[in-house]
Amino acid sequence: MQHVGVAKQGSGVGVGPAARLGAPYGGYVLGAAYDEMFASDGTIRPHYAALGTRLATLSGEELNRRQQACELSFLHQGITFTVYSDKQATERIIPTDLLPRIVTAAEWARIEAGLKQRILALNHFLRDIYSDGRVLKDGVVPRSMIYGSKHYRREMRGLPVAHGAYVNVCGSDLVRREDGAFVVLEDNLRVPSGVSYMLANRDVVRRAFPNLFRAMGVKPIEHYPRELLATLRSLAPFQQDVSIAVLTPGVFNSAYFEHAFLARQMGVELVEGRDLLVNDNVVYARTTSGLKRIDVIYRRIDDDFIDSLIFREDSSLGVSGLFNAYRAGNVVIANALGTGVADDKAVYAYVPRLIRYYLSEEPILDNVETFLCREEKSRNHVLANLDRLVVKAVGESGGYGMLVGPHASKAEREAFAERLKADPENYIAQPTIQLSTAPTFVEGGVEARHVDLRPFILHGEGTVIVPGALTRVALKRGSLVVNSSQGGGSKDTWVLNN
Amino acid sequence: MLSRVADSLYWMSRYLERAEHTARLIAVKLESMIEQSREDADSSWLRVVAALSAEEYVPASPDAFAITQGLAFDRANPSSLLSSLGNARDNARQVREQLSTEVWGHLNRIYLRLQPVTAEDIWAHHPANSFREVMEELYTLGGVTYSTLSHGEGWYFLELGRHIERAQLTSRLLDLHFGASRSAVAEPPKYFDWLVLLKFCTAFEPYCKAYTAAIKPEKIAEFLLFDAEFPHSVRFSVDRVCDALLRVAPGAPPVRRAAVERLAGRLKASVDFTQIEDLMSGSIAPFLADITRQCEQIHDSVYASYIAYGAETVL
Repeated sequence: MQHVGVAKQGSGVGVGPAARLGAPYGGYVLGAAYDEMFASDGTIRPHYAALGTRLATLSGEELNRRQQACELSFLHQGITFTVYSDKQATERIIPTDLLPRIVTAAEWARIEAGLKQRILALNHFLRDIYSDGRVLKDGVVPRSMIYGSKHYRREMRGLPVAHGAYVNVCGSDLVRREDGAFVVLEDNLRVPSGVSYMLANRDVVRRAFPNLFRAMGVKPIEHYPRELLATLRSLAPFQQDVSIAVLTPGVFNSAYFEHAFLARQMGVELVEGRDLLVNDNVVYARTTSGLKRIDVIYRRIDDDFIDSLIFREDSSLGVSGLFNAYRAGNVVIANALGTGVADDKAVYAYVPRLIRYYLSEEPILDNVETFLCREEKSRNHVLANLDRLVVKAVGESGGYGMLVGPHASKAEREAFAERLKADPENYIAQPTIQLSTAPTFVEGGVEARHVDLRPFILHGEGTVIVPGALTRVALKRGSLVVNSSQGGGSKDTWVLNN
Repeated sequence: MLSRVADSLYWMSRYLERAEHTARLIAVKLESMIEQSREDADSSWLRVVAALSAEEYVPASPDAFAITQGLAFDRANPSSLLSSLGNARDNARQVREQLSTEVWGHLNRIYLRLQPVTAEDIWAHHPANSFREVMEELYTLGGVTYSTLSHGEGWYFLELGRHIERAQLTSRLLDLHFGASRSAVAEPPKYFDWLVLLKFCTAFEPYCKAYTAAIKPEKIAEFLLFDAEFPHSVRFSVDRVCDALLRVAPGAPPVRRAAVERLAGRLKASVDFTQIEDLMSGSIAPFLADITRQCEQIHDSVYASYIAYGAETVL
C-alpha cells in the first residue's frame, strides 16, 4: 500500500504532480489494483492531467457544493429508487459521483471492437441453439448445459427472428485487471438496465465541469435513445407507420424511471401489461379512441412474466396471448425470449470458444479466467487452489451457492469441495479480481474506489455502441461490490475524442 | 392516448385542484380568524372541515391547530393537503413520460418541500403564509403546465379533471352556505362569513368589480354559480368541461362520444338556463345536489366510453 502524497514527499525523488496536488488526495491509497488516474509511481496518467489540474484549483467546499447540486438534480428529476423499511417507504437517489471516469480513445476502440465481436458471436450462438444446434453436434458446448438450462425456452425453437438478432440491447460488465487490460466479467442479455443513469450522470456532471468537459473533447452519448429507436424499428417486418412501445412492469419497479425516460426520449408509448390485449394473435393497446395495434415491444419484463398462458401462470405483469402473437409474426419482442440461456455463468466460460467457432477470430476482449469444474483438469486445479479462488454455482445469482476462497474457513472449504465433487457440472471458479480504482469524491476529499464499466450495445440490422458507459463505483473503502443495492453508486464516463 | 394515461392525467389534475382548494381554504381561514370572535371562528372552522372532508372527518380536537394538522398534514386523512399532493404526484409518476420535465420537476419539488413539514413547524411563525406559498406554487404549476405541455388530448384530460373537481368543490362550498348543509354543520353564516366565502373562491375582487362591495348573499350565489367569465364559478367550470370533452378521444366511435356529450350538454343547459331568482325561493339545495350528481354522471360516462370500456365491445 502506498500513500500517494506522503510517499512522494518522503521518497526524495523529484516532486511529482500528485504530490503537488496535496490536499484533495489526502486519503488516496494506491493498492494492488490498477488505478485509473495514477500510475503506480504516483504520477498522473496523461488523460487525467486536465482533471487533476482542475481539481487542484477547487476547494473541498466547492467540490461539495457541486456534488450536492448533482444530487439535488437527481432528486428533483425523480431519479430515485424506493427503500422499504419499518413500514415506511423512503425514496433514495442512486448516489452519483461528481468526478468523471475517463477512458481514452484507444482504449475505447478496443472495447468497442471487442463488444461488437462478442455480441455477434452470442447472437450466432442463440440462433444456432434455437435451430440446428450445430455447436452442440460439434461438441463445442455440451448439449446438457444448454438443454438443461432453466433459461432455455423450448418455445423459441425454429422461430424466425429478424436479422437473427436475438439480443438487441446488451449491457456487458467489464472490469480492468491489475495489468490494465479490460476483461468481460458478465454479459447481461435479458433486460439490462442502467442506460438512463449513463445519460443522467452525463447531464449533471457536464453541468458541474462545463469548461473541463469542453476542453477535454468528450464523445457525445445523447443520441442513445435515437439509436435504440432505430434498432427497434429495424426489427419490424415493415417500415411504414411502425408502432413501438416500451413494456414496463410498472411504477413500483426499481427501473421504472428508466422505462419512462426511454419511452419519452424515443417518443413512443410506455405501456404496462394491463394496457395491452391480444385478439386473433394481434397485440393492441387500449386507448381513449379505441384499440391501437402494436408492432414492436421493447420489453423490460423478464421472460417468466411476459405471458401467463405460456410462462408463469401467476404473473399479472405481462400480456396473455403475447407469445402466440409473437409466434404468428404479428409482433416483435426485443430482446427475444430465451436469451438468458447465453448469459449464465457456465456459457460465459465458453464465449471465447464461441467467438473462434462462429467468427474464426481470436477474442479481442478476454474473459476473466474461468475454470469449468465439469472439465477434469480444471476441476483438479480448482480443488487444489480453493483458498485462492471464488467458486460459483452456475444456476444461481446474487451471491447464493458461492464460496469466496480467501475469506472462507478450512471447514467451509472442505464442505464445499465435497459438494463440488458431487455435482461438478454445476460449478465454475474464478480468481478474485481486483477491480481497478478511480478517483471518487468522498466526504470532502478525493479517494480511490473500485469501479467497473457497463457499456450498452445495440444490435438490430447493424451493431451500434454509443461511446459511453455506466461506471459503477463501490463507495465503501476497499469494497469490491458495485451494486446499488449494496452501497454502490455511479459515475459519468467520459470517452475522449483522442 | 392510452386509457391508463388518460386516467392518470385526469386524476393528477383532480388531486391538484383539491390540493389548491385545500391550501386556499386553510390560508384564508387562518388569516380571517384573527378578526373573528372565538365562537364565530369555531363555527366557520367547522364549515371548512365539512368543505374539505369527503366523509365524516372528525379532527382530534376542535382548535385551529388540530384542524390544520388534520386537514393539511395528516396522511391518514385521505383528503388532506399532503394526501392530495401525494396522490397527484403518484399519478404524475405513472405518466412521467407524458409530462414535460418542467411540469414533473415542479410538482415533485412542491411535494418534496412539503412532505417533511408538520403543523408544529409552521405554527410558531405566520402559518397562513406557508399555505399561501403552497397555493402560489400550485398556481405556478398551472402556468408551467400551460406553457410547456402540448395542448393536445392529454392537456384536455387535465382540464377535464380540474374543472369537474372545481365545479363540485364550489358547489359543496355553496351548499354549506346556502343549501342543505347550511345549518347542519355550523351556525348560519354571518356577514363576515360571506366575505370569507368570496375569499375561499378567490372571488372577492372580481365580485366587487361586478356588483360593487355591497355584500349580498343572493349576488354572491349568482356570481359563484352563473358568472360566465370568473374561473371559479360553476358555470365557467362547466363550460371548460364541455370544451374538454369535445377535444378528448378524437378517434372514439360516434356512439360513445354521443353518450358523453349528451350528459355534458344537459349540465350546460342546467347552468345556462337557470336564474338565481328561480333558486332563492328554496330550491338552491336540490339544484346544487343536481349539479354534483351530473358531474358524477359525466365522470362515469367518460370512464365507460374512453377509459374502462370492455375490449369485446370494440373488436
